[in-house]
Formats: sequence, structure tokens, C-alpha cells
Amino acid sequence: MRQPERPLPRPLLRELRRIVGEAFVTESAASSELYAYDGSLARGAPGAVVFPADARQTAAVVRAAARAGVPFVPRGFGTNLSGGTVLPQGGLVVCLARLNRILALSIPNRSAVVQPGVTNLELQQALAPLGFFYAPDPASQKVATLGGNVGENSGGPRCVKYGVTVHHVLGLEIVTAEGELRRLGGEAPDPPGPDLRGLLIGSEGALAVVTEITVRILPRPEAVRTWLAVYDSVEAAAQTVAEIIAAGILPAALEMMDTPVMRAVEESRPCGFPPDAAAVLLIEVEGLAAGLDRQAGRIREICRRHGVREIREASGEEERARLWEGRRGAFGAVARLAPNYLVNDCTVPRTRLPEALRRVEAIARAHGILCGNVFHAGDGNLHPLLLFDSRRPDEVERVHRAGEEILTACVELGGTISGEHGIGLEKRQAMRLVFTEEELSLQRDLKRAFDPQGRLNPGKLFPPPTEAPGPKRAADALCPAEEDLARRVRQAFAAGERLRIRGSGSLDAAPSGGRDDRPAVSTASLTAIVEFDPENQFFTAGAGLSLARAQEALAARNQWLPLRPPPLPGRRTLGGIVATAAAGPERSAYGSPRELLLGVGFVDGRGRRLRAGGRVVKNVAGYDVTRLLVGSAGRLALLTRLTFRTATRPERCTAIAIDGDLAALARLAGRLLASPLEAVIAAAAPGPGGSFRLWLGFEGFAETVARQIEEAARKARAEALAEVGISDYGLLDGPFPRLYEEIAKRPGLLRIGVPPEQAARAARHIASRFPEAPLWVDFAAGRVMAGMDGLDPDLWAELRRAVSACGGHLTLEKAPASDFSPGGGCFPRAARDPLDLRLRAAFDPRGVFAGADPPETGDDP
Amino acid sequence: MNLEAAYEEIARCNRCGFCQAACPVFRATASEAGVARGRIALLRALIEGRIAWDAGLEGPLFDCLLCGACTAACFPAVPTAELLVRARSAYLARVGRKAAHRLLFDRLLPDPRRLRRAARAAAIGKRSGLSRLAAALGLLRAFGRDLGRAEEILPAFPRRAFREELAAGAYDGAGNRGTAAYFVGCGVDLLHPAVGRASLALLRERRRRVLVLDNNCCGLPAWSAGDLGAARRLAAANLALLNDPAVEAVVTDCSSCASFLRSYPRLFPPPDPRHGEARRLAAKTFDLAPWLHAEGAPSAGGLRGRRITFHDPCHAARGLGVRREPREILGRIPGAEFVELPEADACCGGAGSYALSHYDLAMRVLERKTENLERTGADLLVTTCPACMIQLAHGVRRAGLAVEVRHLAQVLRPTPPRQGF
Repeated sequence: MRQPERPLPRPLLRELRRIVGEAFVTESAASSELYAYDGSLARGAPGAVVFPADARQTAAVVRAAARAGVPFVPRGFGTNLSGGTVLPQGGLVVCLARLNRILALSIPNRSAVVQPGVTNLELQQALAPLGFFYAPDPASQKVATLGGNVGENSGGPRCVKYGVTVHHVLGLEIVTAEGELRRLGGEAPDPPGPDLRGLLIGSEGALAVVTEITVRILPRPEAVRTWLAVYDSVEAAAQTVAEIIAAGILPAALEMMDTPVMRAVEESRPCGFPPDAAAVLLIEVEGLAAGLDRQAGRIREICRRHGVREIREASGEEERARLWEGRRGAFGAVARLAPNYLVNDCTVPRTRLPEALRRVEAIARAHGILCGNVFHAGDGNLHPLLLFDSRRPDEVERVHRAGEEILTACVELGGTISGEHGIGLEKRQAMRLVFTEEELSLQRDLKRAFDPQGRLNPGKLFPPPTEAPGPKRAADALCPAEEDLARRVRQAFAAGERLRIRGSGSLDAAPSGGRDDRPAVSTASLTAIVEFDPENQFFTAGAGLSLARAQEALAARNQWLPLRPPPLPGRRTLGGIVATAAAGPERSAYGSPRELLLGVGFVDGRGRRLRAGGRVVKNVAGYDVTRLLVGSAGRLALLTRLTFRTATRPERCTAIAIDGDLAALARLAGRLLASPLEAVIAAAAPGPGGSFRLWLGFEGFAETVARQIEEAARKARAEALAEVGISDYGLLDGPFPRLYEEIAKRPGLLRIGVPPEQAARAARHIASRFPEAPLWVDFAAGRVMAGMDGLDPDLWAELRRAVSACGGHLTLEKAPASDFSPGGGCFPRAARDPLDLRLRAAFDPRGVFAGADPPETGDDP
Repeated sequence: MNLEAAYEEIARCNRCGFCQAACPVFRATASEAGVARGRIALLRALIEGRIAWDAGLEGPLFDCLLCGACTAACFPAVPTAELLVRARSAYLARVGRKAAHRLLFDRLLPDPRRLRRAARAAAIGKRSGLSRLAAALGLLRAFGRDLGRAEEILPAFPRRAFREELAAGAYDGAGNRGTAAYFVGCGVDLLHPAVGRASLALLRERRRRVLVLDNNCCGLPAWSAGDLGAARRLAAANLALLNDPAVEAVVTDCSSCASFLRSYPRLFPPPDPRHGEARRLAAKTFDLAPWLHAEGAPSAGGLRGRRITFHDPCHAARGLGVRREPREILGRIPGAEFVELPEADACCGGAGSYALSHYDLAMRVLERKTENLERTGADLLVTTCPACMIQLAHGVRRAGLAVEVRHLAQVLRPTPPRQGF
């Protein structure tokens, strides 16, 4: 049997066979051919393929490859669309398809634990009988593994409403490039420190190998309605999309298909698309039945205003399934038009869709290429399919040129180069369209921090370094203040000085200052609002802007940032909120800064002004530095500007308060959270005489809020719990502002994260140890926040033990500085792990921000 | 029919990977070598000269079940099974044809009597533990290296084949209309004579005259193995036999035979003079289930309280498009409950002689089938293909389930007498 072009060393192959067994290593020319491709046009030349059975074998395989100095790539079912899973320079394919078990489904924690080789659809099918679903649903979900979803930060049609993979992954088990198994995050929410999970999601297998994934699951909505809106012009369909989004309507899916794609689908199998139309929109809304009529009416009205030819509602599950089958099969179906396609999944702000589509069409025409469109219009995530035959070299050349021009056009329109398919091999050069050379250099340093030898999926994501600086960014109101701070950091860098970053000081305890005598850099000058695009629902402002001022600006267009971070929501700065990943009990419904942040501007430890992310939700260009900086607490960089996703203000916020025993309240909350009701808040606080009071908060359309309050009251009565009142509450303050004030008065603020089913236990523990402490427990996320007067080392140690026993972690968000200053000695310091040190060095090689440690946390060994 | 001529069809695979979700072998192995996308990639690499024809291709080319599930899931409908048969043919020509293949396809299948003698020898071997004798006689050796373990798939050979019980020829029926011919597949003849008795009883109830044909193998096993010459020879012999205008319908209780008889026109493409004949035969060939359904479903007794489910043979569901008819017939049985089998049309792994030549893989494919079967809580599993019956019965035994496996004909006519026609 013939050998592959680039065979691997014999001793490595022997070692691999010893680890996984003879049958699970292949190295013939045929197997090299079989793993030379993925779903893209790229080709590789792997020397061998290994199929480990579990995480332990995967780690051993990685260690063996590392010892042999052989590069390797993790791979699932190989449907990647950017060449991310092929190895052009040879190496070892680590195929994780045998890690295909669903390990746990938990309704109380609303989570699932899966191995990376489970497909997205298999998870959905396992969840359906329980009345739950997993929100990301890439069109290829039948054959897209969850490991691949994590690697690419996959989206899918439903992501317009629910967000992408990073918004739904709670924890990962990874094998590092050196072959060490470790866990990042888990069922307990918001682990302290920079968000490494967030960084790994979308890292395209270049930072670590993922061997286990814990995801958040959601109860299936009460009702779904689906329409096919048929148009005689692409432009009109695109304008409909822009207006639906601008009107603040949040459909569950908003997909578009044009004539060539519909023709290919209908030739493959009749799914109900009209191939004579110029374009269709597949529109779906879901949620409480009571709220859908109003949304439906508004959507139909907008469609009509843009000259829709026909709006057809799917009559039942069968018709709906057929439409979706056609949509999901579209990429395969275009093979009827031409043997190959190049798909560029660029994203633009949604109101720019009409123009983006015009430019795509013009570019395809100029190059004489047939182009079909099928895409996530509601996200502004285009998928122009440039159709050709790879056997004709001139076509290949023209297609690649057209592809580059389309990416350039989308970036010019304020978008980015990839929404969900990744950079891989195919879009490396295009990275220069969105990142400066300095930003690329930081990302290359991050890669080195995880993979110092460069063995993990080498050669992906980045173009080779150049001298050219990259894109020039327009100056705006924030730039001068940013530059001042950058200059200050450069001085400190040159002088080997350490700096302390300060925002509003709302987490400084009195007397502030303590023994931390590092000079402060304040973000107080960073208060400019740079951009507020209410139609596309994003907002960019300086890190020093207070949340109260931000909310004022957003309120003018009936929008808000759905955050109520304790202890004093309005006083906190945007930078501080992001740096501490702060959020109130609405966190599970609306997300924390981790979910809401689209992009950041920051100054690194060298004093360079850098950016990450952008202005669109779907953005997988490069590593997710935006997510990494959430919770980084000033240890990695000085945040200067933040772009958030905004939301339409709910019409009404109403809470029902229920008194009772903590366990009974937790049970009620658990039932409610597993039902299709959309509780925004399910949190309790100690009441008189050892009882607790539960607030169930509902926000949204007046009629759905009213219906849900009734339903919640009924459920409480069914549990024999006493309802003590129903009242509206302020949008910005939440249902228990007085409790927030009480917490703010205390010098300490303790945050505990546990798996949701342990939340009551954690709350009872705190309430018994600190009977005077004001606190609330969030049953939805699994969190306790408590105001503390004092905390001695023994109590801290005991608390840590108790919280770890629940599978959680704890953080002191606020405390007298004297307790936590370096050398204060009150609490043990976290062990320094090499990965953490290398990560810091990438951002801050001389430790300008190194002293700014957060208070000790419970996650250290 | 060379492989290069299929380049356009091969190039139509754009590697979307949807076949992975449909392919029973991929679900068992998770290997790109075991799924349409990978097999097509190898065919393309062969045509484009990146890899050579060598024995390393045997696995990827021959461990496909040819169940067609990939094509059904494929939007551009790349006909992988057909492409693989061509590739197998090229493989046999370029890399070599095993002696056992020659024995089976050239000498045994074209001659039912010789085939029965070989089967008898195998049966004696099995019953007397002399499996080496059986192997020496050649029939089972054709199936390759997994034979040793595969023998347990066949619990026991019947002592007499169907056509040893009953001579070919015309039999009177109780119906008041015309003549139907009964095409006796090898599986029914050699392994399931009781099915043959039941089918014949059903036919005789509905026709004035039933012709039990002295047909030979339909040719499907040879075609599947890539031996297109042998397949054509077998088909040509059958064509000559079946081209009797007095026969209005050719009915068979083997869905695989029915599907392959219907595809004879492809074996003799124009300008082959036999093309017209093949088309006429295809037009009057029926699988037993839809034929019975069209004739008015027969009643069945003795099944009160039973929970019945149905496994779609690949050649029925995807080959003939038959899905509804057997379900409707079973659904009308008085006192019995019909339950749908999850993934009912997924291949059981029997795939003709596949289970004999690829025992391990076939068992992994089978496991999913038996898991689904267990989920239904059914106590009677019905199908319409003798090879599926053998595989499914083996699965039921392995899983220790209390489920009877029966052909649809047996369910409707449980114990027709052995003699007395």
C-alpha cells in the first residue's frame, strides 16, 4: 500500500497505536487523501489520522505528537468551510468523531454535557423529549459536531434571537498543546478572571483541543409561527429585513434565499420555494403565544410596505419542516448549478444589507461568475455562493478575486470578514482588512501563549507579518483621551512602573486607597459616546462613561443596555462593568457583559492602542479578544472603548413577590425556569423570621407580562406558596432597589457562582454564617451576591471549601483595599500557572498592570 | 460503464457532508473511508491520478452497504451506490477478482440446482460442525475472511429448499383473473421456504393461474460485487424466461429482487436489443407488498394483542419507493397494534451477503437497528426481504429480545400446507 506524501516518524506511529489501538491509526495514501479536504476548497496532506476514544487518549496523543515535534489538528466530521481542518504542510489529524457521547442532561441546571463528536442535531434530538433545545443551530446541524461548533463559534438561523455558540457554552474541558487536561468554567456562571472559554470558542483548533463541552439549554418556546414572504426583487426583500430589525422586532429566524438557490433546492426536492421569485424571506417568530400575534402583524405590515408578492404561513409542522429542510440543504443543492462554490460569510450591519447585496451582485457580474445567495439576513450575515468548477483554473482565479472584493466591500460597509465559518486558510489575507499589524501581532502572541511550539493547527488564521500598519481608523471624539492614556502607559512601560486602573471607584471600599500606592490611571476622561446606531442596535462609548449616562442616551431611542450590575448600577462605568463581568439577576435572560459586548478598544501593557471585535453580533475574525477581556479586572489591558449590543426597552416590567421557605421557593423557581414562561428574574432574598422572599420578574409586551404574572401566581398557589404582591418596577433599577442600596453600604461585596441547582444551598450557607448580610440569590444563573462587613481568613477559607463542594467559585468584588494589597497577607494568592503567565506576558510583558490583582477567588488549586 | 465516464457525477459532490448523517457505516465507524463523501473523494483521486489502484482500496470500495441512504440525503443526489459498483468493477479488473467470486458468480448463481447442492453441502457442514467442508465446497468461502464468525448468523439451513418441495410450473389458483408469475429469489428458495409457501398461497388466492418460475438469481449479488458481466448474464437468462406475454405480472416476495428486476433496463442500455424487453419486464414486475395492496389487502387472523412493527428493506424504500403499502396492510390486521420503528428505513446491515463478508461492521450497523426495535416494544418485526430477515433475526437473538421476525407473507398466511398444491 502506498505511503502518504509526508509520512510521520515511525516511532510516533508506534506510540499512537499503543495509545489508541491498531485499528484507530491510519496512514495509507488513501487515508491521506480522505483527510486532505473539509467542506472548503482548501487541501492538505496529512501524514496519518488517529481516532482517540476519549479525553485521556486525546491528551496522550497530543503529548506524543508534542514529543515528536509533529504538528496536528483536531477534527470532527470535517465540514469546515474555511479550510480550518486541513494540514497543507502535513502532520497528524486527531479525529474526535469517536468522542460521540452525550454525558449528562440536567434540567435543574439547564445544562448538557457532551463530547465534541456529538452532532448539533443529535443533541437537539436528545433534548426534544425533555422539552428543551440548544440554541445555536448551524444550517449543517445534521453533520456539524459540537466540537466544530465550538471551534468556529458557529451560528445558525436561530442566532438572530439567541446569539451564537459563545453565548451558550458554560464550560470546556481542553487538552493544551502540551497535552495537559484542564477545565475552563462549568455549570457555575461567570468564573472569575479573564474569560478563557470565550477566547477558545472560535479559536479554530489553534489554541487547544476541546474534549468536553458544557452548554446551556433552554426550554422550548410555547409557540412558533413561520412565514415565507415572496418578493419580486432582492432589494425589496433586503429592505424588509433592515426595517424589521430597525423596528426592534426580534424574530427567531430571518433567512433569505434568491432565485438560483431556490431553483437548486427545488430541483433536488420540492420544499415549497417559488423558483420564479427573485427572493424569499423565511421568517419565524417564537415565544409566548400571547405575544406572537402582535409581532406577526407588524412583520406582515412591513413586508407589505416593501411590496411583498405573497406571504404564506406554514400550515403546520410538516410544511415548516419542509421549508427548513430546503434551507438547510441549500449549500449541498447548489452542486446542481456547478460542482464547486466559494462561500464568503461576511457580515454587515443589517441596515446595510440592500447595499451589500447590490455590491455582491455587481462584483460577481464583473467577474462573470454565477452567484447565489442564501443567508442569515436577520444577522446581516451574508453567504454569497460563488459557483464554479475547480477543474477550470481560470474560474478558480476569478472566484478568489471576486471573493476578496466582496470581503473588502463588506468591511467598507462597517462589517467583518467572517460571521461564523472562520478564517482558516482561506481568509488569512483578509484579516488585514479588519486588523492592524499590531493587533495581529498581539493575536499571534496569544497563540504562542497557548502553543509555544506552534504545533496546534499551524498556519491558520493569520497572514505572515508585514511592515504595513494595516487599516487606518477614522479619528473620533474618544481618540485624544485614549491617546493620552496610551502615552501614560508607554511611559510606565519604559520606566518599568506599575499602574492602577481606576473607573468610578464604585468598588473601592472606604477608606479608599488603602496600601495600594501604585499611581492610578483614571478612565474618567473616556466618557464620549462615539456611535449609537439604534437601527442596528449597537452603541460605542468610552470606558469611563457611567451606565446611567449610557442609559439616558439610549432611552432617547427607546433602547437600553440590559444590565443592572450591583451594587449601584447607574454609578458603575462601562469599563468597570466589563472588567468585572458584572451583572444582576437578569443575567440569564439578557446576558452578562460577556454576551452583550461586541467589540473593545484597549491599551495593552506596551501602550499600544488596539481594537478587537466590531459592531456585529456574528464576528469570528481572529481570536475573541473581546470575550477574553471580560472579567480580566485590569490585569491584561486598560479598556478604553466598548461596543455593546443594545435592546429595545420592554413596555412593562412587573414582578410577583412570593414568601416562603427557601427550598420551596427554589423548587418553584426551578419549575418556572424549565417552563416556556420567560422569567427575566427569579431571585430571592432573606425575609423576616428565616423565610425568604422570591421575586419573579417579567419584562416585555404588556399583554405577555400580564399573562405570565397570572401563570406564575397559579404555579405558586399550586405549590401552596403565599403571593405577597404584584408590582411594576423601574427598568433600570430592577425589582429590589432597596436591597441593592443595602448591599452598596457594606464595605465588602461577595459574589458566589454555583450550578443553579446548588443556589439555594449556597444562599442558606451565607445567610446562616452572616445573618446580617444583605444578599440575593439568583436561581436562574446560580449566583449569590452578598454585602459583607468583614471577612476573616478562617471564614474565607471555610466559605471557599463550602462553595467548592457545591462545584462553584467565589469572588470578593469589593473589599477594603488593605485586606488585599500585595503582601497584605489576608488571603492566599492563586498559584501562578504557566499558561496564565504567558497570557499576561502577551498583553503586558513588563507587568505594568500586573499588580492590579483582583481579590482572591475560589478557583485556585 | 467505466469510471471515468462518471467524472461529472463524481465532481458533483461538493463535500457538504450530509451523507455522514445518513450513512449507517459512518455512524458505526466515524471514518471518512466509510461514507459517500470519502468514497467519492477516492474515486475522484483515482480519476485525477493522485492515488493508484491497489489493495488498499478494497475497504473503502467494498465496505459500503449500497443502501442508498446517502443519495436520498444528498441534495444533488450523487448516485454513490452506482458509482461504487462501477468502481468495484474496475477494481476487479485492475486489482483482481478472487477465485471465490468466480465460483459464486460464474458457476453457482447461474445454476439454481448447483447452488442448492452447494447450499446443502454448506448446511451439512454447519449441522455437523464440518464448516471446513462447507468452505471447501466454496459457497460460503466466497464471502471472505469474516466467515468464521458470520456462520452463526444462519441458525440452521432448512433441510429442503423451496423448489425441492415444489416443482416449477403452472399452478391453479382460486382467483378469477389471469396469470401471475412468481419469481423465486435465492433467499426464499434456500433459506425461507416457508415464505415461499405463504407467498404462493397469497398469489393463488388472487389469480386463476400462478406460474412458479424456474428463474435463476436476479443478478443483484453479482452487480453489487462489481461483477457486471456476471450480472448481465444472469439478467439475460431471466429476461428470456420472463418474456412470456401471457404473464401479466411478475411478483416476488423479495424486495431486493423486485428492485433489481426493475433496473434491468439499465443493464442493457440502448442500442442493446434487449433494452425493450427489459423495459417491458420492469413495467410488469411487482414487489409482493404493493401488489397485494393494489389487489385489496388480505385479511389475517391470529394476531390479536400483537404489537407489530415494520423494517423497510433498502431496496423497497429507496429502490422501489415502497413505504406506505406494507404499513397499511399491517395496520389493518384486526386486534393488532402497528407501531412505527424509529429509523425504519435505515439499513439493517444485512445488505445481501454483506453481513457474511463484513461481520464486525454489519453487527455495529445492526446494533442501532435492534436498539430502535427495543424502543418500539414490538413483539413482531415484519419485513419483505429474506436477507434482512436473517440479519434482523440474528440481531434479535444477540440482543436477547422476545421478538419474532417474519416476512409480510408469513404474517398474512402463517402456515400454508407444505403439500397439496
